Amino acid sequence: MSVDERPAPPRDDGAAAGPAGLLRPYAGGFAAVVVLQVIGAVAGLAPLLAVAELGRALLAPGPADPGHVRAAVIAGAVGLLVRLLFTAASSGVGHLLDDRVQLALRRRLAARLGRVPIGWLSRRRTGELAKVVGADVAAVHPFIAHTPGELTFAFVVPLVYLSTVDWRLTLITLIPVVLAVALVPFMMTPARQREQAAFDEAMGRISTSAVEFVQGIAEVKALGGGERAHRRLRTATDDFAAVFSRMVHALSVVAAGMQLALSPPFVLLVVLAGGAALITAGSLAPADLLPFLLLGLGLTAPVAALGHGFDDTQAARRAVGRIRDVLAVRPLPEPAHPAAPQGHRVELRGVRFGYDAEREVLRGIDLVLEPGTVTAVVGPSGGGKSTLVRLLPRFFDPDSGSVAIGGVDLRELASKELHRTVSCVFQDVRLLRATVADNIALAVPHAERADVVRAARAARIHDRILELPRGYETVLGAEAELSGGEAQRISIARALLADTPVLVLDEATAFADPQTELAVRRALAAPAAGRTTLVIAHRMETVAAADTVVMLVDGSIVERGSPAELRARNGAFAAFWRSHRSAAADTADTRGGVPHGGEPR
Amino acid sequence: MIRMLLRVLGREYAGPVRRTVALMAVTAVVEGLSYALLVPVLRALFGDTPGDALPWLVAFCGAVAVYAVLRYLSDLSGFRVGTTLLRGMYHRLGDHLARLPVGWYGAGRVGEVSVLAGSGVLQAMGVIAHLLGPFISACVTPLTIIAVMLAFNWQLGLAALAAVPVVALVQVRAGRAAAAADAERAERDHEATARVIEYLQAQPVLRAGGRTAERFRLLDGALRGLQRASRRSVLSALPGVLGLTLTVQAVFTAVLVLGAYLALGGGVGAAEVLTILVLAARCADPLLSLSDIGSQIRGARSELVRLDAVLRAEPLPEAPDPVRPAGHGLEFASVTFRHGDRTVLDDVSLSVPEGRRLAVVGPSGAGKSTLLRLIARFHDVDAGAVRVGGADVRAIGTEALMARIAIVFQHVYLFDGTIEENVRLGRPGADTAAVRAAASAARLDEVVERLPGGWAATVGEGGTLLSGGERQRVAIARALLKDAPIVLLDEVTSALDPVNEAAVHEGIDRLMAGRTVVVVGHRPRTVRGADRVVFLDGGRIAAEGGHDELLRGDSGYADFWNSAMAPATDH
Repeated sequence: MSVDERPAPPRDDGAAAGPAGLLRPYAGGFAAVVVLQVIGAVAGLAPLLAVAELGRALLAPGPADPGHVRAAVIAGAVGLLVRLLFTAASSGVGHLLDDRVQLALRRRLAARLGRVPIGWLSRRRTGELAKVVGADVAAVHPFIAHTPGELTFAFVVPLVYLSTVDWRLTLITLIPVVLAVALVPFMMTPARQREQAAFDEAMGRISTSAVEFVQGIAEVKALGGGERAHRRLRTATDDFAAVFSRMVHALSVVAAGMQLALSPPFVLLVVLAGGAALITAGSLAPADLLPFLLLGLGLTAPVAALGHGFDDTQAARRAVGRIRDVLAVRPLPEPAHPAAPQGHRVELRGVRFGYDAEREVLRGIDLVLEPGTVTAVVGPSGGGKSTLVRLLPRFFDPDSGSVAIGGVDLRELASKELHRTVSCVFQDVRLLRATVADNIALAVPHAERADVVRAARAARIHDRILELPRGYETVLGAEAELSGGEAQRISIARALLADTPVLVLDEATAFADPQTELAVRRALAAPAAGRTTLVIAHRMETVAAADTVVMLVDGSIVERGSPAELRARNGAFAAFWRSHRSAAADTADTRGGVPHGGEPR
Repeated sequence: MIRMLLRVLGREYAGPVRRTVALMAVTAVVEGLSYALLVPVLRALFGDTPGDALPWLVAFCGAVAVYAVLRYLSDLSGFRVGTTLLRGMYHRLGDHLARLPVGWYGAGRVGEVSVLAGSGVLQAMGVIAHLLGPFISACVTPLTIIAVMLAFNWQLGLAALAAVPVVALVQVRAGRAAAAADAERAERDHEATARVIEYLQAQPVLRAGGRTAERFRLLDGALRGLQRASRRSVLSALPGVLGLTLTVQAVFTAVLVLGAYLALGGGVGAAEVLTILVLAARCADPLLSLSDIGSQIRGARSELVRLDAVLRAEPLPEAPDPVRPAGHGLEFASVTFRHGDRTVLDDVSLSVPEGRRLAVVGPSGAGKSTLLRLIARFHDVDAGAVRVGGADVRAIGTEALMARIAIVFQHVYLFDGTIEENVRLGRPGADTAAVRAAASAARLDEVVERLPGGWAATVGEGGTLLSGGERQRVAIARALLKDAPIVLLDEVTSALDPVNEAAVHEGIDRLMAGRTVVVVGHRPRTVRGADRVVFLDGGRIAAEGGHDELLRGDSGYADFWNSAMAPATDH
């Protein structure tokens, strides 16, 4: 049996991305599993039939025919062997197939999550999404490893055989099955379904609060020991336990009734009562009762399996729903025919953007960033600065207007080209649990070590890296932890190594200590031929050094020009500048007259 | 298994668990015994006077009724105990996690804890609710049936009995063979979960670096590792499944052949042989289900093992007789702290009298943040002592210590919820007026006004929907609300532009007023306002004194500040 090991080829249309589409390459494998299962199930009936035949031979009037007996016994033994082989094969193949399908689904989800708008991601809870990729994919298992085909066959084959023996007793034997099936609607009432939805939700909340708990452990501790520290996690788990208990409680009566109806003693009782009535009335040969005693239970087993697996199947259905929801999120579209940018002039034209319909964050931005210049964005917090700079690496597409590099709208640019053109240093530094070298070479996976080291030196982190247990090969987060400022410098080394023509900085140097800050500002400001830099400035030194300053208030550019021009204009920026000067005065004061140059006056 | 379960849970659950197990065992025995009544029923039906079956049939009906009642009770008891255990387990895990030192929470823990707290606990506790019943029934019912068979025909009974030791052996072996593969699978599962979380949270960085899913091999490697481990675990379980099936089927065949032989020889009545074969078939099914139940139980067991491992991780020891600190002064007495091989703080001694401010300054990686964290006892020192109000922090109860300290971190992590909820965490019982007052003191009210939804605006996981400066204002408001006598600040104003910095400083000044303060500062203003400055370099105190005094000295302090203030570029 050959199963395609490659992940399903990427497709962009949301409709074909459902799990069904994903499973298509494995259809052959599924068919093989079903065939193996069916052969195994049918062969499994042979020993029971052998006992029935043995009964017929022994109970027949006159001496038993040894040949008939021997044939029945041999048929039974062979049937057992066949069943053994085929069931084992189907189970093995089914599980291996299951693993591959799970891998393919996970890859597909990861690929999609890597292309959905960042804005969508930041409004989702990591724990819940991680659960979709992890536990939800695993929950699809019953659909794959235990196919409905197997169960149907295991039910129909004995049924046909029994009805050829005696149709009346067959109907009687079906009584437990009918009772059990009659209870199924009680397990699917709207109330039950609400409980199940609540169950999944509560489970998702646990994942979320567990992620929060671990990542915010310092805050958790700081908020006080004991009870209060993990109230959120406890609330989530208590809620879950309550929902679980309510669900189990409501289901337990129905489930117990179902289990009882299908339990072997009850089935045997029904068959025996019916058989006794028919035999006493003389309308059934005693030997004909045997197949019912043996196969009657075989008839209920698939139904019982369905019942047992009922929760699992329901859970699997809901899991598939959640997987489908994630796969249905529209990614930022890739251009069909990517255009090539001419130069690295960045132009924003009439850009409007809001994370949701009610609140527009950017209200018509027109801005040109010339190559070889530094543009500083200033303004009060919440004015849209972070959003503005995040349009350049295309974390979002504008709602209207356009962002273009080298005359090409970002939407017409292949994502590879975009990543070669724009690099960013953001305020929230995130290091990966990987080696220092890999962390620095994030955007340039095949970078030479010498280049990595050069970038690290320029970001003033090289010496610290050498102190780590295995230098550049040290796995961060596992073998060593870096302080906030050090992590910042790694992220700056990243940008330096990427050396893209367009650089976006967001409060980049805010966390770093003064020495690093200076080194880094110098390194980034180094006149790389024609680099276009956009920086969210928090330090007046940076503002003063910029070619252009853009004052962003409430999503609109209220002033723009060179720093000197704007100060002379005596508008919003001048006011901003003056309020800073009192802070700057503090600074000068503090340094107690230590000589320095170039500070804006 | 049960023993392990009880150890993980705590002894107080032993009673209910034992009662449930006993009830399940009795139910299984009753089921097995009820089949004994099949013998007289079938003997009559297969014989000449089928009418004689009636009284036996009525008796069987009674037995089934008893079984039904017992079964219902044991199912219910299983569910009930399972649910109770679930709640108990969650509490135990949560309490324990909260007591573990911050140092325990390394990078891989997020995957481990979220899997454990999510499906792990449920799976482990599901043993009682879902697996124990079928397992006991699959073991006890066949044994009872074999006893019944022995009573009616010793030859056939013995043949069936032969299966028992083999089945037991196969089960034990299968368990051992699969254990290693199962454990590895679970480990890979945690690893993959951790990578998925990392992948999701690092999306901005990864995208900026052009690393899509296909090109992010750390994630893909983890996913493939999980698949491989999962395949190995399936393959390692296969011999056990085959062995069990083979054994049960061989014994059934043997009983069939022996029965046929005995019946043909006339030694035993045909009705008897056929009845015993029906009983043998009743034995085979539950035994065959053992391998499936067994693997599920192994899965639950390995979750239990991992729960056990987490619960056994040493929390920071709590003092048996907590000391009450006298006052709110701070003192470091020859403190050395190591992280792995690296000495983060080396023989650091300093003191901050009550109500005074200490600024800690130095290059990144000098150990500044660690110093703050040791005061809050996030870690225990390797040598020396950290004292609060004259008492060693290890001798003060965690709750009492934390009640005295308000911390504002460099990276503020907010919990997903509203702004108000996040501020209120500082003092959960606070009235609205107090919350509002703290917020306006931290200039958070401006932020709240601007956000759609105001106080009810959600902040996103970790606070990602707010800017860095906004997050810090929330943290300051929270600290103000907490109103603790000791304040620890780490780089509070770092992510704010100058206007906001000035605004936040007002809040901070209010926060510091009359309190003992340790501030890790990079901003001149903070440092100048301190009573004393400690210049930390490479884990040691390079200089200490007043700001001006240090500037005049030759410790490198002046150079440090000069470089901080120099311009970025020459143009």
